[in-house]
Amino acid sequence: MIQVTKRVEFCAAHRYANPRWSEAENQRVFGKCANVHGHNYILEVTVEGEPSPDTGMVMDLKVLKDLIIEAVMDRFDHKDLNQDVPYFKEKNPTPENLAVVIWELLEARLEGRQGHWLHRIRLHENGSFFVDYFGEHAGHAERI
Amino acid sequence: MPRESEPERSAGGVPVVEITRSYGFSAAHRLHNPRFSLADNARIYGRCNNPNGHGHTYRLEVTIRGPVSSETGWVEAGPALDAVVRTQVLRRFDRMTLDHLITPTDGPTSTTEVLAALLWRILDGALPARRLCHLRLEETPNNFFDLDRDGAEGLARPVFTTPADRGQKVSPA
Repeated sequence: MIQVTKRVEFCAAHRYANPRWSEAENQRVFGKCANVHGHNYILEVTVEGEPSPDTGMVMDLKVLKDLIIEAVMDRFDHKDLNQDVPYFKEKNPTPENLAVVIWELLEARLEGRQGHWLHRIRLHENGSFFVDYFGEHAGHAERI
Repeated sequence: MPRESEPERSAGGVPVVEITRSYGFSAAHRLHNPRFSLADNARIYGRCNNPNGHGHTYRLEVTIRGPVSSETGWVEAGPALDAVVRTQVLRRFDRMTLDHLITPTDGPTSTTEVLAALLWRILDGALPARRLCHLRLEETPNNFFDLDRDGAEGLARPVFTTPADRGQKVSPA
């Protein structure tokens, strides 16, 4: 089994706010992250599988890149996540939640493909902080 | 452009995410096992056995794992991670000599393996139970050491033996 990773960068603005909280509460919990600011996110999409005996490839990275552009870049790049992405009307646009929605968007496009599958979403917010999501939910208690 | 029929919402259950933050600290050390002869120390540890020591700019990556809070969108314990690392690790080890801080119960000398296992025990004890998932300790950009829970629990009560412990003539291979 081999894992192949495509890396892309996108830039977006956001602020942290829980719409159920008062502005004062949001400022207290999220501090300066409650102000609108932005990041250069680096996204690593990892697909796992066996290399095809015909092509020698786990997955054509051009195909993967095109999926990422359509599913992720067109949706998030140079956008305000709070205002431009419906998913973040209710959910806070943290890297955790961003990684989960990117997983869901790409998983919907990759499911059913033969011989390879989505393995990991790694999202770097900056040089010293990243999140990993493997598609797991809290029901899978053995790994929590 | 995005398809309008996109399923934008999670089907159910709370996503479990791993977050990783990296930190840096600088420390001096000397690899030297007092149970070995001077000649064996010099032979085994080479330039790392320099009598006056040397130092590294260590880089520490800490990964914690947990459900994403529906209120904050953060992994629980994530917001506390910086303060825990600062008080438990950086204040204790930054600009220090490791050999003054690492005791024989931690390991035979201040290798980065021994330091990584010690940092695991410190952080695992200070963070909420079983949230710590992975540690990577980089001694230089070219040498780094990874430890996860399976490895760390094997190292929780380390048994370090040397030929001297076993009553043999000290001549390590």
